[in-house]
Amino acid sequence: MNNPLQPQACEIISVKKQGGHEFTFRVKSDAKPLPGQFMQLSLPKIGECPISVSGYGEGWLEFTIRSVGEVTNIIFEKQPGDLLFLRGPYGKGWPIEGIKGKNVVVVSGGTGLAPVRELLNMCADEQGFSKSTTLICGFKDETGIVFSDDLDRWKTKFRTIYALDKDEKSGWRVGMVTKFIKEVDFKGLGDDYALIVVGPPIMMKYACQEALACGAKEENMWLSFERKMSCAIGKCGHCRIDETYVCLDGPVFPYKVAKNLVD
Amino acid sequence: MNRDINIKKTRLNCFRQSKVPGVFMLQMRVPGGMVDAKYLEMIEHISKTWGDGNFHFGTRQTFDICGIKYDSIPQVNEYIEDYICGVDAELCNVDMNKIAGEPREWDPKSGYPTIGARNITACIGNYHCICGNINTFELARKIENLIFPSHYHIKINIVGCPNDCNKAHLCDFGIIGCAKIEYHPERCVGCGLCAKKCEHGATRVLSLNPKTGKIDKDPCCCVGCAECVKACPTSAWTREPTDFYKVIIGGRTGRQTPRLGKMFLNWATEETVLSVLANWQKFSAWVMDYKPEYLHGGHLIDRAGYKKFKEIMLDGVTLNPECLVAEDVFWAETEYRSNYNVKPLETHHAAGPQKA
Amino acid sequence: MSYVLSSERADALFSELKKQYRIFAPKRFKAQGRYSDTDIIRYAEAASLEEIVFDEKSDYPAKEVISPIQQALFFFTEDEYRASKGNTRPILLFARPCDINSQHIQAKIYAGNGGYVDMYYERMRETVKFVLMECPSSDDTCFCVSMGTNKTDDYAMAIRVDNDGSVKFKVCDEALKPFFSQSTVAEYEPKFVKENETKVTLPDIPNKEVLGKLKEHPMWKEYNGRCISCGACTIACSTCTCFTTKDIAYGDNPEVGERRRVTSSCQIDGFSTVAGGASYRNTAGDRMRFKMLHKFHDYKARFGDSHMCVGCGRCIHRCPEFITITNALNKMCNAVEEIKAEKGGAEK
Repeated sequence: MNNPLQPQACEIISVKKQGGHEFTFRVKSDAKPLPGQFMQLSLPKIGECPISVSGYGEGWLEFTIRSVGEVTNIIFEKQPGDLLFLRGPYGKGWPIEGIKGKNVVVVSGGTGLAPVRELLNMCADEQGFSKSTTLICGFKDETGIVFSDDLDRWKTKFRTIYALDKDEKSGWRVGMVTKFIKEVDFKGLGDDYALIVVGPPIMMKYACQEALACGAKEENMWLSFERKMSCAIGKCGHCRIDETYVCLDGPVFPYKVAKNLVD
Repeated sequence: MNRDINIKKTRLNCFRQSKVPGVFMLQMRVPGGMVDAKYLEMIEHISKTWGDGNFHFGTRQTFDICGIKYDSIPQVNEYIEDYICGVDAELCNVDMNKIAGEPREWDPKSGYPTIGARNITACIGNYHCICGNINTFELARKIENLIFPSHYHIKINIVGCPNDCNKAHLCDFGIIGCAKIEYHPERCVGCGLCAKKCEHGATRVLSLNPKTGKIDKDPCCCVGCAECVKACPTSAWTREPTDFYKVIIGGRTGRQTPRLGKMFLNWATEETVLSVLANWQKFSAWVMDYKPEYLHGGHLIDRAGYKKFKEIMLDGVTLNPECLVAEDVFWAETEYRSNYNVKPLETHHAAGPQKA
Repeated sequence: MSYVLSSERADALFSELKKQYRIFAPKRFKAQGRYSDTDIIRYAEAASLEEIVFDEKSDYPAKEVISPIQQALFFFTEDEYRASKGNTRPILLFARPCDINSQHIQAKIYAGNGGYVDMYYERMRETVKFVLMECPSSDDTCFCVSMGTNKTDDYAMAIRVDNDGSVKFKVCDEALKPFFSQSTVAEYEPKFVKENETKVTLPDIPNKEVLGKLKEHPMWKEYNGRCISCGACTIACSTCTCFTTKDIAYGDNPEVGERRRVTSSCQIDGFSTVAGGASYRNTAGDRMRFKMLHKFHDYKARFGDSHMCVGCGRCIHRCPEFITITNALNKMCNAVEEIKAEKGGAEK
């Protein structure tokens, strides 16, 4: 009998530290996730959790793991050649067909950048993928910054607003991402844009409120949810909101659906 | 009133002197504080016929009827025959024709033969209470015949659980109903509610182990209250079928040296408790050189010393394997007067058989 | 075909069945209740017919046999997660109609939702044949008739123990028929409870707008003060499926261990807590609302055919705070009507 909970061993190709707390693991895998999908990552002794695919290529995948508490020691032990365990990909990612050819506006908070990283790369690298691209990207403080190489590269490719919540940093602005949403001229973009909001729940809530106040239209907005999951296949019940299972029906939701998903 | 009354005799008969000359209060024993409600009619009748129409709950759970004139005592004694026979002789299996185990014929119309051992009090226990681990009044009824009738003064309080609402720590023998707890880890969902309950309401012996998602327990400090059993949503904690008891000794109130009792036995079974208490008469008699005095049990333990007490009380007793016994007891009295205890040697009390 | 067996013959039959089947049934665990000198009736492997409690509803549901509170999913070493083998022997599971119907609900989630089949559930379910325990009557917490779960024809065999100790069987499963080759044929058709003392009305939530208003309705606040979020209701629930997985490293060799799944409950603090620490539904009232709406709206909205409650009443029976799902349901119906009336009024 097929066991959908069975994790597959994947060899670590490289481990890279991101900012103060995050590590990006590149592992060998033939899985072909879509941008915004997630996988279940197992660290023996620690357990299994859902994690966004932060990058992928021919025969490899990348995950960015926050090293907190118990996980830290395990992560420090891992070297190229060691194994991680994966299953997936799961869920529905970004609606690529709906986004393609439009003005893309991404608002991200903290590690919320991981699930949109590949989408931003498409905007940066695929000729004509987006009509224009704007990234408003915030972090709590300097140690929270992830994907700094990408941030530097994206800066040269499209419009970016990078901000830290409170701290000063050269070339960066100070304040929550919500503060900078009004700098996007949604009316000027007509109906021809996709606004993507990813980050902690409270940030997504206020960012969406602000975007709507700035004239963004509900039907052009998309969000990605983070929920506790023990199975990712609609069994464990942790991620359910009403009749919706975030693992199966999300984690990416159109705003019009997401706004009714009240916990 | 001008009448020659031997108030010591009336007291032995369970009629207590009042501040009004010739007026007495009857104290009726209610072992474990529980009797058939039908007896309330008797109380009413006594009170309205011979008393002043009122009734008081004695602090030791006796039915107290005040305002009884000395001349009415024989009639009252005749009337309470049914009560004494029904409650003590039948319910508690008391042999009324013995005092402290020695044959002494009892006239059923003569009222209570002794006051000696005071009424055994009890909380409602598991007959009703959700915290109770044991049936308190059934235990009281089993103990009553070990200590009554007797001239030796002993106060026993029974409580259903270590919350000790009925103050087992403030009497000569406090008996606390406890449960040994079994853990069924395969039913445990790791919610940690038991650990929270144990921390807030007991001895903090439980903790949720984040590595296993199960509960770790420090069994030596468990008081056996079973709060974990009550809290558990999955029945992962259950009581062992055997009832266990802690026995607390030497607690008291009083004008001289009030103190909380200390633990004598832990995890004793009912059989152990009963066989230990069966030695009480022997111990009291020995301490007082076989001459009863108006002195309650805690003072007798002081006089003999804990080690002597232990020796006599455990004599011939087979302890259940789980039972733990205090090697020593470290009392902590409230001394109203500093160095109350430091006094001329000749005023010290003696224990045990004395030379004539 | 139906049969009647004397109590002795039924015992002998039980022994024969045990040679081929593991028999799980509700058993009495003396003095293992929440309060002292109270019993617990729960599912366990039965050694004899006599051990099975027929005349009282079990405190815990039959689901514990198929989706146990705890089960090992994998054993791990440094380089592999190896799936546990699980039970392979066929099982006879003694169950009432509510418990049998609840398996149709659990299966929608475990063996259907999202197109994924949970192997652990499915392989256990495949070993199970139901023995229908006829309900002689219902207790005052049962409301199976209102939920339409008082009847079932999904059983391999039905059983009734009569007052004189004789036992009647209706045998449907071909594989069980040989066990009765020497038995006396009798007229017996299992009866089902036709009416419960407790009846409920089910709410009609027509759209998302009413649902949204119901979530905000003040009725849920009552439970902030009453519900202690212990989760006893969901543990006792015949249909609840939620679980959490955990990797346990073995104490004396932490390089090996097992991935375990353990029942979890939306009522218990921490159910929704994500790695970053955020959590949802942080009051008892919110959690009660989440449970009630799952049982009487959300499940049906997703899977269509029935509500996620079989009216077994075990949640009522096990709640230490005397909260009844039936009264909560009545309040919910009233709230829905109130919301609809307001809306109607507003539209005029």
